[in-house]
Amino acid sequence: MTLLEVAGLTVGVTRSPTSILANVSFSIPAGKIVGLVGESGSGKTMAALTIMGLLPDGIEVRSGRVRMDGRQLMDPANLTLRRRSEDMAMIFQHPQAALNPTMKVGRQIARVFSLQQGSGRSEAMSQSIEMLRRVGIPGATRVAQAHPHQLSGGMCQRVMIAMALACRPRILIADEPTTALDVTIQAQIFDLIRDLVAETGAGVLFITHDLAAVAEMCDSVTVLFGGQVMEEGSRDDIFRRPQHPYTSFLLDSVQQEVDPDVVEAGVDFELVGCRFGHRCRYAWEACGEVPDLFSVGAGHRSACFLHTVGENRVGTS
Amino acid sequence: MSALLELRGLRKTFGRGHGALPAVRGVDLDVERGETVGVVGESGCGKTTLARMVAGLTPVTDGLISFDGSTLDGSSALRENRRRIQMVFQHPAQSLNRRMTVGAMLAEPLRLLAGVPKSETAGRIEEMLGLVGLDPAFRSRRPRQLSGGQQQRVAIARALMPDPDLVVLDEPTSSLDQSLRGRMISLLRRIQEVRGVSYLFISHDLGTVRRIADRVAVMYLGRIVEIARTRELFEDPRHPYTKALLSVAPTMDLDRVRERIILEGETPSPTDLPTGCSFQDRCPMVFERCRQEAPVLAAVGSYRSAECFAVAPTSDA
Repeated sequence: MTLLEVAGLTVGVTRSPTSILANVSFSIPAGKIVGLVGESGSGKTMAALTIMGLLPDGIEVRSGRVRMDGRQLMDPANLTLRRRSEDMAMIFQHPQAALNPTMKVGRQIARVFSLQQGSGRSEAMSQSIEMLRRVGIPGATRVAQAHPHQLSGGMCQRVMIAMALACRPRILIADEPTTALDVTIQAQIFDLIRDLVAETGAGVLFITHDLAAVAEMCDSVTVLFGGQVMEEGSRDDIFRRPQHPYTSFLLDSVQQEVDPDVVEAGVDFELVGCRFGHRCRYAWEACGEVPDLFSVGAGHRSACFLHTVGENRVGTS
Repeated sequence: MSALLELRGLRKTFGRGHGALPAVRGVDLDVERGETVGVVGESGCGKTTLARMVAGLTPVTDGLISFDGSTLDGSSALRENRRRIQMVFQHPAQSLNRRMTVGAMLAEPLRLLAGVPKSETAGRIEEMLGLVGLDPAFRSRRPRQLSGGQQQRVAIARALMPDPDLVVLDEPTSSLDQSLRGRMISLLRRIQEVRGVSYLFISHDLGTVRRIADRVAVMYLGRIVEIARTRELFEDPRHPYTKALLSVAPTMDLDRVRERIILEGETPSPTDLPTGCSFQDRCPMVFERCRQEAPVLAAVGSYRSAECFAVAPTSDA
């Protein structure tokens, strides 16, 4: 069952023709973890902020639909999110920056209970401490009295997750949730997210540039480059049968020997057509147009003109 | 012949008295000529402090650093050792002078450390840019005109300009996108082949270290708990901390079957260490002796050692 559906989302810089997300679609089913993967500048965080209604000033939605349980969240008239759905919660890359530095963490979580369930002050506080326990914080009563700066990064990320869980979200958006953390702590956080999915059937949008984390966590994957969807499919499709040249490039660059003289170029947002075109070794004239997502298998789609000429397997060389 | 770099009983304590923080607590380590030694560990394990002591940026509290047969004590031949040991930092945007052109940044170490005549400077810069895969035109650019990957190439070039014997790299790929890390590794390897330089490569990223290091040292709370040749360490870790670390590091290998070892809790504070082994509170193999005395690095087979009573019982106890 699809919980959240994003369709044809185009997001741009105000008073500029540049689009930082171009016709992006993906959906999050209940009980599944969907990976949104890409390098810096791929637009993955912008996609999350759009869904949350948190786009910064100067960035505007140009077109698209966001639906939750089939109900439209985006006002088609002025393309603003009508209101932030209480069904969604987000955890951020830098929890210390996302938490309120002047408020004790127990109180920050308690406020969620007060606002959402109308809990009284002391009831909300005991709910908050219970939630801290659930995310594996030892000495939860003591930690609840701490300010964020008194806690480690791993602790703060647990507090963020506790706050997100307090909302009892049906969709959890996790934007690079462990990038700032050590692997032993990352493993604990990953387990927490998996537990949430198993217990509540929530859907998770898992945003990261770390392919190994995707292989570890996600059921399905959408690969973004320069604000365009390059490829989407199941975890097995993407890692075992990548069809798009960019996906292959990305996998190769992590696994294989690569030519050190190919100097890294950023994303060219002025580029017309496929934004991976200028870095793609298969690029030809056709790539001046934006390719459609071609079906290359059940639930597996790739946006590359190679698929129109029968070259439907790029391979990982 | 002695190793290029020899560390013996190296210690660094920040502050003194009650709140003193022992960041590095007695490290022995050798780096041979042309060798790459990786140092891995989680936040606060002391790996960056170790790197900075070797590079002469942080004063040593106790112990010996011997370089090419002579002791580095901060005074004798300081200038010559500055030339022979160079460092590359994690964030190139911060370590490069944003007001200088690439050419000026590369010329400075030649003038200050290597005493190269001005007439040769231009040629040396061009040669170096070629070695790090940058076009000669980059010499007139400033850091803000470069991508993160290009900036890190410049930082590597700058470190290599005075023709060092040892380059200390502190998380050189951590600020880069995953697709660039592989290229940076290939680049560093090529430089090593051409120049015969040794690397002390500090990182928390196990995948990156596995691809570049000849030997790997694992640090925990200021001590090396295990050291072995890269392949042996990754395929057959012995120390319980190394085992846990490797068991939870995400990989892209979908077929890997493994038992994940989730460590309880977080690393204890270095200001409040328990008596005995510092890993005892998180260790799945802990027994009585670990709580009474601290283990020391002891051989576990040829060319490898671990600091653990359970896997490397020492006879002198």
